[in-house]
Amino acid sequence: MSEQRVVIEVGDGAAIPRAEDKGLLSAWWLSFLGTMAVLGYLLIFQADPYLRILKFLPDGILVTFQVTIASICLALVLGLLAGLGRISKNRMVNLAASTYVEVIRGIPLLVQLFYIYFALGRIVRVPDLVAAIIALGFCYGAYMAEVFRAGIMSIDQGQTEASLSLGFNRSQTMRYVILPQAWRTILPPVGNEFIALLKDTSLVSIIAVSDILRRGREFASESFLNFETNTLIAIIYLLITLVLSKFLSHVEQGLSHYERR
Amino acid sequence: MNVVEPIIHIEHVNAFFGSFQALTDVSLTVQPGEKVVVIGPSGSGKSTLLRTINRLETISSGSIVVDGHALNDPAEDINTIRQEVGMVFQSFNLFRHLTVLENLTLAPIKLRKLEKVEAERQGMELLAKVGMADKAASYPVQLSGGQQQRVAIARALAMNPAIMLFDEPTSALDPEMIGEVLDVMVTLAREGMTMVVVTHEMGFAREVADTVVFMDEGRILEVAAPDTFFDSPLHERTRVFLKQIL
Repeated sequence: MSEQRVVIEVGDGAAIPRAEDKGLLSAWWLSFLGTMAVLGYLLIFQADPYLRILKFLPDGILVTFQVTIASICLALVLGLLAGLGRISKNRMVNLAASTYVEVIRGIPLLVQLFYIYFALGRIVRVPDLVAAIIALGFCYGAYMAEVFRAGIMSIDQGQTEASLSLGFNRSQTMRYVILPQAWRTILPPVGNEFIALLKDTSLVSIIAVSDILRRGREFASESFLNFETNTLIAIIYLLITLVLSKFLSHVEQGLSHYERR
Repeated sequence: MNVVEPIIHIEHVNAFFGSFQALTDVSLTVQPGEKVVVIGPSGSGKSTLLRTINRLETISSGSIVVDGHALNDPAEDINTIRQEVGMVFQSFNLFRHLTVLENLTLAPIKLRKLEKVEAERQGMELLAKVGMADKAASYPVQLSGGQQQRVAIARALAMNPAIMLFDEPTSALDPEMIGEVLDVMVTLAREGMTMVVVTHEMGFAREVADTVVFMDEGRILEVAAPDTFFDSPLHERTRVFLKQIL
């Protein structure tokens, strides 16, 4: 076994531009300004049909955001619980959390969506939107669990010992000492998951949730403007993820204030 | 002198890391106000012994009683006992996300339920005592090692402990910073604090200790007053060790 393990992290979210990564930062600006330019051109010089398509989409954008926000909240809660479970010394808790992560990560999200929508639908009638949120939340919760676990493990053992020696118990130590520090490590990958999840919400269009993609497809099937509609949809997704990734890079900077000398 | 009950009572303690025996039949008593300095080669079990006193290491047999509380009694709340026992680490372990003052006030506010204003007043007093009042708003990364360790001592004192444990408090410091930390410890000793100190600073041991404990291979080989210990050690192993480091 080699002494040093190389960790290669490749998320499927849009890359979050950081000040120290000049190339990525330039790429961000290039993508952003390019997209804005294309959008501007299409809406001004080809107002018909692009303006017409755009007016059809706001409901869908709203639904996409609703699904994203609700799912990420569910995923964060599940991820924190499962992440803590994965490092728990209680064997049952640990096994339960690990099994959840293994099972969920082994099933494609699209299959999970169908499964929750149709299989769960046989027992309880769940609204489409709720089914979508549950499926996305549970799926991303499993990914988040690994992020939380890694973040917590990255904090030096000495911090725990110092906290325990002052008289804090394990859960107080986690709450007051470990998690506030782990956030900084956790936030970038959580941000990546957040963006990946936003993109994956496009999958919910097939279980009758009217997100951007479904609204677009409705429009295209009536107007036969497939090329134009999908162009605009792609532009909208790209703009949202670009803005989001920039926003997250700012939040990251703010969180590491205490590391600056 | 011996009429007082010992504040730490360690009896026939054995401790293991897996199959490695870290402590073998260790017994030691510490009186209130006594300063005990534990020395010995690395791997001799001195840090392990210190860490058993607030149960950061668990023992496999024997008993440890701290201020009337038996550490291996399941009915005792270890967290309450730990509040009475301050600990200072080799690597400082200040909470990196909190300012210097917040490091001192976190435990008093959350555990002692002190008002924030009162905790801060007390915190500033302690910072002044260790000469760090002007750095109250700084974060640990902004401080030198010596400064961090002085803050760490103040943080432990903020819980108003009956006993202070020091685990090689100057071993991670650059030579020019050792003095400032030892000065704080000497002051603390003069004020009558009960202290158990694992260290390689023989000057400190000579000046401050009431009792010097020498450990090797998980056993206590010698317990003596500093003068006797340094000038006429009983044990051959002690003599060899002292020759190597002095």
